[in-house]
Amino acid sequence: MWGSDLVAKNPDFYHIYKNPWGDDEVVCVRALVPDYAILHVQEADIYGNARILGPSYQDALMARAAKKVILTTERIVGTYRMQEEPKLTAIPHFLVEAVVELPGGAKPGICYPEYLTVDWADHKAYQKAVKADEVKQFADKMLEGRA
Amino acid sequence: MKEKLMSLSQAADLIQDGMLLALGGNAMHRNPTLFALELARRPLKGLKVCGAAPGIATDYLMAQVDTAYFGFFGLENEAGLAPQMRKYMEGDGPARAIEGS
Repeated sequence: MWGSDLVAKNPDFYHIYKNPWGDDEVVCVRALVPDYAILHVQEADIYGNARILGPSYQDALMARAAKKVILTTERIVGTYRMQEEPKLTAIPHFLVEAVVELPGGAKPGICYPEYLTVDWADHKAYQKAVKADEVKQFADKMLEGRA
Repeated sequence: MKEKLMSLSQAADLIQDGMLLALGGNAMHRNPTLFALELARRPLKGLKVCGAAPGIATDYLMAQVDTAYFGFFGLENEAGLAPQMRKYMEGDGPARAIEGS
């Protein structure tokens, strides 16, 4: 962080301390503890054990930083699948408070390998809705038939 | 192990005003978009969001957010910039950006 204006600009987020083991100084960054990490995954069981196929980005870290996790999942799988390959479980059940079966839950975005392109018509509709202050109506339309 | 299956609206009921949320995925990839849209149509306010690179699902919430902690906030490639993030954050917008990259 040295050399960046961010330290001076956000004093409630960064703080400079003397290094307890030396004569120099160190920048400390406040830890964020999310109330919930909300993640969409390809596979979860009914207890909240989840697999992420393809890139996992920061999802596993977010799950561990947060107080609790809410999962939406392309499909519910049997727990035997987790037991067969335990190391593929990205999110363990004890971090999770809710599991929602929600196929297509990352649309109009992409969810490898289920749907591989952005739904541009829906994304353009969102961009228009932002300009027109109609995001709630856009949400209603995208969620039609799901509750 | 405890069963945790619930409906989208039951799970969305867990989210209260003022909470700090971390939405997964990246840019247009594997974001919890439908969950975020369920929140976007509720009268939630004062939410805070965080992530190394928040994407489209976080953008859906920006009308209800007062603080966003992030390194990069955008949708990338043809999807471009995050439209609600810009609308509520640029200039004197109500959402505060705490950029930490």
